[in-house]
Amino acid sequence: MKHLQLVRLLVSRELTLRYKRSVIGIGWTLLNPMLTSFVLWVVFSYVFAGRLPDDQQYAPYLMAGIVLNSFFNQGLMLSAYSIQSNSGVLTKIYVAPQVFPISVALAGLVNFFIGLIPLAAVVYVSGQSLSLTFPLVIIVGFFLALLVAGIGLSLSLVFIRFDDTKNIVAILLLILTYVTPIFYPISVLSERMQRIVNLNPLTSYLDCFRWAFSNNATATINDWLYMSATGIFAILIGTYIFKKYWPRTVAML
Amino acid sequence: MATIEITNVSFTYRVLKNRSGSIRDLFKDFITRKAHVENYVALKDVSFTVDSGEVIAIIGKNGAGKSTLLKILARVLPPTTGTAKVSGSIAPMIELGAGFHPEMSGTENVLLYSTLMGRDVSKTKSRIQAIGEWAGVSDHMDFPLRAFSSGMVARLAFATATDETSDVLLIDEVLSVGDADFRAKSSARMDELIHQGSAVVLVSHDMNTVKKLATKAVWLENGVVKMSGPVDQVVTAYENQ
Repeated sequence: MKHLQLVRLLVSRELTLRYKRSVIGIGWTLLNPMLTSFVLWVVFSYVFAGRLPDDQQYAPYLMAGIVLNSFFNQGLMLSAYSIQSNSGVLTKIYVAPQVFPISVALAGLVNFFIGLIPLAAVVYVSGQSLSLTFPLVIIVGFFLALLVAGIGLSLSLVFIRFDDTKNIVAILLLILTYVTPIFYPISVLSERMQRIVNLNPLTSYLDCFRWAFSNNATATINDWLYMSATGIFAILIGTYIFKKYWPRTVAML
Repeated sequence: MATIEITNVSFTYRVLKNRSGSIRDLFKDFITRKAHVENYVALKDVSFTVDSGEVIAIIGKNGAGKSTLLKILARVLPPTTGTAKVSGSIAPMIELGAGFHPEMSGTENVLLYSTLMGRDVSKTKSRIQAIGEWAGVSDHMDFPLRAFSSGMVARLAFATATDETSDVLLIDEVLSVGDADFRAKSSARMDELIHQGSAVVLVSHDMNTVKKLATKAVWLENGVVKMSGPVDQVVTAYENQ
């Protein structure tokens, strides 16, 4: 109960602080994915727009990829850094340290939901409409938050113990971005590459998301299962690792 | 039953010893076994108890392990060996204002700080005005903290931290803050808190304060309890060493 109150405060701090000194504030959460998508759309639409199946549209396809990927990438990094950036609190007051990575992941989830508004606009502009399945996006967001929090929890301790891992993780995330079908349709890849990309859990998250939101991809039952399994697995492993190694790590803060 | 029960507590920091900071050297050192993890013993076999209503002072030179001990009592650090039993709510007055953020308003900071210390949000909300007034910054509460002077921040932190009593008070040299007026006011508040029946652990270098407030004292030297007992005896021995 007390934790819940604290998490709520931390989430709202996370959300307001990001754009605190900007003029349009939270408006950037709406604008950012649109601008990024626009730039990538200008660059890639010639190459990839014709490669999608006939009933799918490239602009919402691309933007869905960006909204989801930035939730994952930013959420993961912020969550992994959150223990270190709150070391001032954690070395003075006893707080369950897990609240910090988890709050960051939840703030990312809220931002993700806000990002759905401009995405919906793009869906309609490109001649599509929202599917009736669109509330299922909440489930996608929920499991992605579990994935982010789980990986963030384990990485937050690794980041404190081994400073070099920050750079390694940044590179790994870059590689992961390219093996996720964010701006390309998976059908443009060779069969071998397709197999690799399909192993990436984010591909399943993305398929489920695009399908549920505006029927702009196909998602199989396996995608849903893979998504939920990886989310649950990540949070279980993350909390376990955190609990086990925190007592030895706190002295290094 | 004692509120604080410290039994044979030891704490070791693990420090990596190698010649230089570069990864290449570190790798070479590991292969040639020149680099090794060295254990630095900050506390060794410390035991004492504090009952409710008792004020105990921890004295000793810099680096004697006083802050480490206080962090163990605050449950921030787990003891390497031994047990530290601290029951009830803990108010850690160690560098006040932990978690204060310059971009957040006074009100938001008070709310978060209080909640971090384990207090109830709705209860704090009803106290915010009083806290601001007591700190003398009520007209600033809606401004971001960066618009506060450092004295005002310290006053607000003190007012928030001392707004509620707890079963255990851990005090690290924060007996007074701000200008002369506020100093008097805050040390009066501190006296009041200390005598409200909590178990108090006080770390201070000021022997007059220690003698005035504490009943018992523990003298730490290099992580070991050199002497403990009634405050007058311990302080006299410490001053005459």
